[in-house]
Amino acid sequence: MPLLSIQNMSCGYFEGIDILRNVSIDVDQGSFTGIIGPNGAGKSTLLKAIFGFLHHSEGKIFFMEKETRRLSPFQIKKLGISYIPQGINNFPHMTVRENLLLGAWTFKREKDRIKKGLETVYDIFPVIFSKRNHKAEFLSGGEAKILSIAKEMISSPSLLLVDEPSAGLAPKIVSYVYEFLRRSRDEGITILLVDQNINQAIENSEYLYMLEMGSVAMEGGAQMFKENLRDIIRDSLIGT
Amino acid sequence: MGKKAFLFPIVAYAVLAPLPFWLGEYYTHVLNMCFYYVIMAASWNLIAGYTGQFSLAHHAFAAMGGYTSALLVIHYQIPILLGIPCGGILAGAFGYFLGTLCLRMRAIYLGLSTWAFSESFRITLSMAYKLTRGDLGLSTPRLLETALAFPYYYIFLLLALVCLFIMYKIVHSRVGYYMRSIRDDEEAALTMGVDTVKWKRFVFVTSSFFAGIAGGFYAHYIGLLSPVSVDFNEMAILLIMVITGGLRTFVGPIIGAVSIELLSEFLREYGEIRMVLFAFLVIIIMRVNREGIVGIGKVILPKIKSVLPSRQL
Repeated sequence: MPLLSIQNMSCGYFEGIDILRNVSIDVDQGSFTGIIGPNGAGKSTLLKAIFGFLHHSEGKIFFMEKETRRLSPFQIKKLGISYIPQGINNFPHMTVRENLLLGAWTFKREKDRIKKGLETVYDIFPVIFSKRNHKAEFLSGGEAKILSIAKEMISSPSLLLVDEPSAGLAPKIVSYVYEFLRRSRDEGITILLVDQNINQAIENSEYLYMLEMGSVAMEGGAQMFKENLRDIIRDSLIGT
Repeated sequence: MGKKAFLFPIVAYAVLAPLPFWLGEYYTHVLNMCFYYVIMAASWNLIAGYTGQFSLAHHAFAAMGGYTSALLVIHYQIPILLGIPCGGILAGAFGYFLGTLCLRMRAIYLGLSTWAFSESFRITLSMAYKLTRGDLGLSTPRLLETALAFPYYYIFLLLALVCLFIMYKIVHSRVGYYMRSIRDDEEAALTMGVDTVKWKRFVFVTSSFFAGIAGGFYAHYIGLLSPVSVDFNEMAILLIMVITGGLRTFVGPIIGAVSIELLSEFLREYGEIRMVLFAFLVIIIMRVNREGIVGIGKVILPKIKSVLPSRQL
């Protein structure tokens, strides 16, 4: 069974109005899977449903062969899923280090693991190390986004849900972020990426799903998507 | 830091202990009230300042603690020192209940709901006059055999220091960060794996418990309880204390409680006009610095230091 398996799932923000309908998605262990699709297709909603912010009305979600129905986000986090939402979600009044510690406290009893997590993150992101005692509100946009990512990485998740990592960032930082995601995958972290930037998504992912109007319109390997890129972009712009 | 935190209350006790010898009976009583308000303001800061849950029922929990303890002592003759924790526990239980009801509420909605709770509690106290003697007031047995403020001073001083020490430990622990993360961004806190429901309830229970305990000691010191103590004015005073001193800071509520209580005593002859004055004070402080006196201090102190000749280290 895949690491994450979504079977015929439907969900929405209000009862009776489903945003996602009958969606089935598999994410294999160690893979880099991409979700693309036009605005309003339900890409972010899908991640929220996986992470427990939304409860699905129909279908099933399995993570490591365990059904996650009715679990809260903090319980899902404990199972080993981390979620990097769109934009920046740091705690502005805390220092960078405190932000990171909050991410590490999922394992409150394992002090060594927390220490090692901190060291690893400082190692990967020197910017974070040099600003560890600054308040998060004083970071630049790029640094803040890196902190948002770093504080999810510190809990060394098995599955990382990433929502639009490139939104609102300078191109230089965007490439840094993607490079970091690829490197994390190489280290064994499974990645599920939602992206409006179709080129980047196809470039990085091995397998992709295209959502349209809340359903899976197309799925396949990166090669197949590459070959049909023009059609996909046209579809996605027109939204048909 | 760990040892320092332990040392501070002991030093503070030693320094503050001789004060009543100089101050005399009346001002000793004023200080006792200061200590009571310090506990109330600091525990309200836990829930409103650190966790961002703007509850307006804190004074009701204090009265609940007081009435519970007094009624238990009067009707069941239990020792006062057992009655007070019972009051604290009941206040904590109602804190859990109110916190659970208000879990999904934010900002003004939480304020209105908790206010409605305290008003209902006040009216219930008045209506249940067979039990509480309503607006006539319930005379409560005193903790000590005397009504003099002097011996109570040491009890209130100790109580305030112990409560502050526990709150300090909470605020500077892992739980303190959870509280702040809930205040700053509840959704982000969930993303970080914080069980927001659990910790919100925890803060409601803890702060209500502190209020209940403080209310219990207050009741057995003053010797009289009445529904007036659940009047909104009482909550307003707490709010003024915390905001003047510095919401979201640890020392703020302490400074605010002491200075507003002292000011309130010095201006006693002006009666209700004091509230108008305090309201102005709050508006001015919010305009100047949102962290109150502590915030103003943070701006001014470095300037003073830079003017003074620097010591070579």
